[in-house]
Amino acid sequence: MTIRSDRDHGQHYRPRMSCLKKLEAIVVQMQDPSTGVKGSEQKLNVTTIPHAIAGQDIVAWISKHMNMDNDEAQAFGTMLAAFGYIYPLQDHKKLVLRPDGSLYRFQTPYFWPVQKSKAEDTDYAIYLAKRNIRKKGVLDAHEQEEYNKLHNWMNHKWDFIVMQAKEQYQAGKTRQKADRVVFDCQERAYWIVQRPPPQTHSAMDVLDRHIDPNTEEKKPYDYYRRIIIYTQQAVMRSRVKSTVSLGALVKYMATFMNHDPFLVPCLPSNPWLTDDDSYWELNMADVEVPTKMRVERWSFSFYELLNDPRGRSDFKIFLKKEFSGENLAFWEAAEELKWGTGASMSEKAEHIFKTFLAPGAPRWINIDGRTMGITVKGLEHPHRYVLDGAQTHIFMLMKKDTFYRYLKSPVYKEIQKKAISPVPHSFSDTQLQQNTRNRRLSISPIITWQKEQEEKAKAEAAAGPIDIKKLMASKLDRK
Amino acid sequence: MNRWRQSVVEIQTRKRQVNESERAHVALSKVTACYQQMATSLGSNIDGSFLREELEETRIVAHKICSGLHRRLLTLLTEMEQGQEDKEQVERLWVIFLSSLENFQQDLKKVRALQEIFPLTQRKDRQALVNTGYAGGTSEVAARAAMVQTPWLSIEETERPDMKTHIKEIDVMLEEMLQRVNVPLWSIEPMQEVDGVQEEDESLEDIMEVEVVSQNNISGCCQHYNCKVGCLLCLLS
Repeated sequence: MTIRSDRDHGQHYRPRMSCLKKLEAIVVQMQDPSTGVKGSEQKLNVTTIPHAIAGQDIVAWISKHMNMDNDEAQAFGTMLAAFGYIYPLQDHKKLVLRPDGSLYRFQTPYFWPVQKSKAEDTDYAIYLAKRNIRKKGVLDAHEQEEYNKLHNWMNHKWDFIVMQAKEQYQAGKTRQKADRVVFDCQERAYWIVQRPPPQTHSAMDVLDRHIDPNTEEKKPYDYYRRIIIYTQQAVMRSRVKSTVSLGALVKYMATFMNHDPFLVPCLPSNPWLTDDDSYWELNMADVEVPTKMRVERWSFSFYELLNDPRGRSDFKIFLKKEFSGENLAFWEAAEELKWGTGASMSEKAEHIFKTFLAPGAPRWINIDGRTMGITVKGLEHPHRYVLDGAQTHIFMLMKKDTFYRYLKSPVYKEIQKKAISPVPHSFSDTQLQQNTRNRRLSISPIITWQKEQEEKAKAEAAAGPIDIKKLMASKLDRK
Repeated sequence: MNRWRQSVVEIQTRKRQVNESERAHVALSKVTACYQQMATSLGSNIDGSFLREELEETRIVAHKICSGLHRRLLTLLTEMEQGQEDKEQVERLWVIFLSSLENFQQDLKKVRALQEIFPLTQRKDRQALVNTGYAGGTSEVAARAAMVQTPWLSIEETERPDMKTHIKEIDVMLEEMLQRVNVPLWSIEPMQEVDGVQEEDESLEDIMEVEVVSQNNISGCCQHYNCKVGCLLCLLS
């Protein structure tokens, strides 16, 4: 009738409540007539009631029995009160243990916070109805609210609730006056613990765990589906034999070994060690004469050549001589599109299209029809990576063809000859100290950037109109 | 129209049964209330074999009433045809019975748990009993429960089950009842009103408060009863 779900939202899954069993044991120990807490009598107007214990006695007993100091004992005692094992006789709403003469009494085991059964709403309704029957208007505001709520929810049970409340009231009246008072106190204390007044901190307010943390949770279907998809994709990935990949790694290491500043000391000297920054000065982006190591590095791969700004400009010179600068220009423009701001994207895309891709464009690049088709279509709605396909194609073209010609070209050979090989420094200690003192800031990157922009603008201005002429000239030449 | 087909005897039996059920409900409420009152003393300083015996007796009485009521209500409901006048009444009784059974079963479970925690088999177990402040016994309550008579005149033979079986039996009974008879629970209208006070009884606050006054030596500003309460309530809050 009352819906009891399989998931017991009660304390079955609150392992924190295992402290209750221990508390019960302690309370039982407190009862011992010889070693337990000494009780006194509570004098009321109508009668006297035994077994009232003072707060300070409780604290003293706890600290002696459990070997704690007074603060801890008081905190422990407050927990006892908060869980409802003892209740205060004065100020019944505050479930705190006061270490003074204020009186407390033990709660009867029927009203102990038991693990297995929750305080049911029906019982609460009966309790409130009982108080209402006894004297109208004695309910607190929040109790009255709860009462009305329960009346609403349990309307169909209300006959039963009222009947039971009346009968319980009558049954209680048959007892002696003192016992009646005790029972009423107990019941009231119980319900303050189980249904705390609003804005009070209640010890029973633990997180309602909806599942047992000890049982294995049944994994949902989606969980397994994701695992399957992941494994399928992992299986489908292209694999490389470890001999091949290790061989590539070894080759890389052999090639670059001499260029690694950790393995081979860099020339002239490592600025971090000697505080002499000639190494950086010699290797700046716009330096006239590069170092030998740098030039050697350009020959390792096309990627290295392009990445090094000095190398790239050298390559550009070579391409100018060859009249095939449009590939590199396109590649650079595509890079700019990729790394540029979002606002300028559509503008750049248009410019690129007009300059490189449109049929009859001034710097028309030669890519295959399929890639051209896809790229042009993508440019209708440009995004960062719309030129990726074309860019890769161009890169491969340059790498497979132009790069090797460059390496064999007189441009490269000349620069190889011109490259300097700085003499390694050998500083004495005093010189090192002086170097430390001579440290200066390098050029601000803002200035470097401005210089770069100026050069770019110059290059564009130079490159623009001449290219058409060159193109026509080259076409005539080839014919 | 069906009414004319039924014989007069049938109608009279039915009426008698309904009345018996009503009285049985009152009796059951009495017994369960007494049972609960006695159960609150379990584990306290007045606990003893006497109390446990009284609890057993009360439980047996409750069981008798329950089984009789169960049988009668079941026959009433299954024999009910459409448009009977006492349909509402019988359904109401049915719902009340369900609620009382559930409530009683809860008390039974609690009592069983408490009896396990506080077994009184050895002398030293008496030391474990909690000093709750009870002085007298619950014999008056037990007497009240014992005075309850089953309202049916026929003596029916019933078994006396022990605690565990009883609890299980109620479970089975509840499930069976919910399955066999289709009564929409929410359609029941309560008929009883919460009466006002039957007698002017002191509330707990009044009884308790006197003590605080004597301790703090605060005399009431005036002799008026309500005023005393008012002073003290503001002391407490």
